[in-house]
Amino acid sequence: MEILSIKNLSFTYPMLNTRALDSVTMTVEQGDFVVLCGQSGSGKTTLLKMFKREITPNGKCSGEVFFKGEPIKDIDDRTSAKKIGFVFQKPEQQIVTDKVWHELAFGLESLGYDSKYIRLRVGEMANYFGISSLFHRKTENLSGGQKQLLNLASVMAMSPDVLILDEPTSQLDPISAGDFIATLKRLNTELGLTIILTEHRLQDVFPIADKVAVLDNGKLIAYGKPREICRELKKHPVSAGFPSAVQIYNSTDISTDCPLTVREGRDFINNNFSKRKIEIRDTVPKTEIAVELKDAFFRYEKEGQDILAGTRLKVYKGEHFSILGGNGSGKTTTLKILSGILKPYRGSVFINGQKMNRKPLTEYSRMGIAMLPQNPETVFIKPKIIEDYIELCKIKGVENRDKKIAEITESLGIKGLMDKHPYDLSGGEVQRCALGKILLANPSIILLDEPTKGIDAYGKISLAKMLNKIKSQGRTIITVTHDVEFSAIVSDRCALFFDGDVLSNSVPQEFFSTNNFYTTSVSRICRDRFINAVTVDDAVSLIKEGGQYENKNN
Amino acid sequence: MENRKISGFNTLHPAVLFTYFVSVVIVAMFCTNPVMLFLALIGGVSFFGVMKGAKLFFQDLCFYILMAVFIAIINPLFSHNGVTPLFFMNGNPVTLEAILYGVDIALMLVGVIYWCKCYSEVMTTDKFLFLFGKAVPKLSLVLSAALRFIPLFRRKLKEIRSVQSSLGLYEKKGMINRVTAELKVFSSLITWSLENSVDTGASMKARGYGLKGRTHFSVFTFRKRDLGYLICIIVLVGIVILGMSMGISDFKFYPEISEFNFGLKQIAVYISFGILSFIPFLSELWEVIMWKYSASKI
Amino acid sequence: MKKDIIAIFAVIIAVVIIIIGTDFQTVDQYYTDHIEDIKQDSKTVTMTIECKTILKNKEKLDKSLEKYVPDNGFILKDTKFVLNNDDTAFDILDRVTRYKKIQMEYYGADLNRYGTVYIEGINYLYEYSCGELSGWVYSVNGQYPQCGCSQYKLKDGDHIVWSYTCDLGRDVGCTVGGGNNGK
Repeated sequence: MEILSIKNLSFTYPMLNTRALDSVTMTVEQGDFVVLCGQSGSGKTTLLKMFKREITPNGKCSGEVFFKGEPIKDIDDRTSAKKIGFVFQKPEQQIVTDKVWHELAFGLESLGYDSKYIRLRVGEMANYFGISSLFHRKTENLSGGQKQLLNLASVMAMSPDVLILDEPTSQLDPISAGDFIATLKRLNTELGLTIILTEHRLQDVFPIADKVAVLDNGKLIAYGKPREICRELKKHPVSAGFPSAVQIYNSTDISTDCPLTVREGRDFINNNFSKRKIEIRDTVPKTEIAVELKDAFFRYEKEGQDILAGTRLKVYKGEHFSILGGNGSGKTTTLKILSGILKPYRGSVFINGQKMNRKPLTEYSRMGIAMLPQNPETVFIKPKIIEDYIELCKIKGVENRDKKIAEITESLGIKGLMDKHPYDLSGGEVQRCALGKILLANPSIILLDEPTKGIDAYGKISLAKMLNKIKSQGRTIITVTHDVEFSAIVSDRCALFFDGDVLSNSVPQEFFSTNNFYTTSVSRICRDRFINAVTVDDAVSLIKEGGQYENKNN
Repeated sequence: MENRKISGFNTLHPAVLFTYFVSVVIVAMFCTNPVMLFLALIGGVSFFGVMKGAKLFFQDLCFYILMAVFIAIINPLFSHNGVTPLFFMNGNPVTLEAILYGVDIALMLVGVIYWCKCYSEVMTTDKFLFLFGKAVPKLSLVLSAALRFIPLFRRKLKEIRSVQSSLGLYEKKGMINRVTAELKVFSSLITWSLENSVDTGASMKARGYGLKGRTHFSVFTFRKRDLGYLICIIVLVGIVILGMSMGISDFKFYPEISEFNFGLKQIAVYISFGILSFIPFLSELWEVIMWKYSASKI
Repeated sequence: MKKDIIAIFAVIIAVVIIIIGTDFQTVDQYYTDHIEDIKQDSKTVTMTIECKTILKNKEKLDKSLEKYVPDNGFILKDTKFVLNNDDTAFDILDRVTRYKKIQMEYYGADLNRYGTVYIEGINYLYEYSCGELSGWVYSVNGQYPQCGCSQYKLKDGDHIVWSYTCDLGRDVGCTVGGGNNGK
């Protein structure tokens, strides 16, 4: 039975000439798990909002959307609110009230149920989603993952027939994101709930999706089973976001079934290829130390726990160093100490060989330290990007201002964004603009805090390119992230931060192939056959290198 | 703070709690009788003590003792009434009565402060909203949203400040530079919060906000136990207020200190008020004993 | 840390200054303040302090104050005192109450906007002690001056009467309003 369908839908935002959606036609069957993908700006979010009447944007619209056979604009308000649930991208912004129980009840209050009914529903939700222990907590004290789970639960409390989610995990760390997607899977299989989702982490959702829809410039270019789509769009740029197994498969012309999961990918490699190896090369010249922590200790509160406990860290000039680790392990704190925002209570910080412990913040930036924060929009405090750039030039006394700005905007490809408001830009665009602003002061050491948060696969690739360019100008980059795939691509050396100290540090190939759990999916797929391969590029180069495929089954 | 132990008095119905606190505080504020003020103070302090634990309690207590001493010293400097001058300062008498009255005011103030502290511990905003939300449902939602938003706002402000200070926004010294920098941060924060509220609004609409016939849900139910407490409180307060209005518990400091009068009527008022101010402490204590007792049975 | 030390130091200095600037007297010292004997050639004024209106309004009076109201209503009856040069109505009252050991409380000229001393209470009878319109007013030779008592200069032979009013002065024949005639 079809639950949602779109007939020849086109949509144009006011004041714009190009269509955000261009004659899209698709049907969603009841109980389907549909993943909607496409590059940023392809119209994913617009399409999702077409399903939910309350938040449909203003603009010129033609074509029709049906819910259970009825045009969506004709169903009554109550049904629309109740039966179509919508979860937004940012966990923080969609929470309305101060208490968890109130948030859960919010939708039911709107629908006008009595207290007895609400109490039952709310209790049911809290139990199903495992948030009973949070029931009386304040919403502000929840972690990002808990917040998004609460948002999901409070939408589910209204018992919708369709659940629509707009990049719900893009702001979460991988573990919470995995939990969240597992919950979605459970809702889909246990309750038969229809789910439509846009998502960056195709790796996690492709294996559980019934259907994948791909949008490109507002057009629906493919709609079908994940395996078919993967093969169909082999050459399309959207494939950059496909699961690693798919990407490896697509680089060959073996015609077995397309692998989606790590297990299938591993079988695929094991069945088709012989053992081969990548030589590990440590390319970093370990001559000059850019940043060093010597037995640093730090805690936030006098009575609190040590976040940094005797941390030792050496970063050499001209390398890209990644610090990985779970949430709350102290990665960001380490970065703040390196940038001078926080000071260790014991131990010392050296930058370019100078002891910085008692130096003021200005001294840090004079030594060439600059930090890109986790939420890059906080870098901007003016209505236009260009005004912020000019302001910084004034503060830092940058000479040849216009030339410098032109140079940087050119190399980051953000020239066209200069007159825009930071909030009108996409996640990747803000990131690039923020990076540009930081580069104005010509720093020699750049600190990045979770640079891939909220950025899709294509955005990550262009960010990686950009960082390599910046590095090639002789700058040192220190990245703090929990995105293992990204750090495998960009870093020269990786380290794991755990229990207040930097545990192991080595080149990514060595680092990830020795780790069993904390490693990239490529490493998991390939470790039996391709020694030290940790990125898709590694695997592909080994496949190419091998020349003739060796199929064991033959 | 948040996962405070669920205890006896805390779990009463908000209406009962509110009645209780309002009556105790009002009686304490309009009464000069040192016996009653002393009872109110000890009741409040002991309740605060069982709620917050010994350590926090003593830290606080020192401050309030100092404050009380300060008030007791200050009063005779401004009030010169009283039949027993001890000495004269710049031609004005410092009298025994004024000093004792200062002590009395200090008792009252510290007592009331402790009760207000207990109030803010026990009457959390959701309880308050529950009580007054029914009258104005819109307002209660607005308050709840505001309470959600303020910490968010504060955190963002801190974040922007920290980022901007590492970008050198606060580098220039001087008051004016500092203020203009703060203004810039603040205006960007306003933009952020507008942006934020658009998202929040969409989320509210998506969950049916604006439909007719919105109801008001709360997690509180009025039980038999609440009724018991409520009756108890009303009876005791009734006795105390009646006594006060009849002048039974009147106590004068000027010009002469009244004598303590322990007639039957007075004792009835004192006992009533004593029980009233120890209700929370006793019910906490009772809960502990009951728990121990029932735990020993398990 | 440094700032704390400075603050503590400042507080100590302030306390010391206040103590040095304050004149401490024992009760005996205060009341034995010497008053001049009347001589042939000295200028004199006559002083009366009365609260007869209270007798008529006893029901309004605070019970604990009853014993401070004399039966005939006179706290001080027509008594002559030496008048020094430049004495104001307040100076005389201050001297007389000390000499006669009558309790008196006022607040200083610097504490109100009229720039005059305000008499709050005499013999434990305070403003508002007998109803909301009660307080002290004064008259000189039967006239109620328009100014406060510390601004009114006395002449030889003046007769000053401090009266307690229960009705903003109307019940003692004062038309300029209460508040020690200041308002």
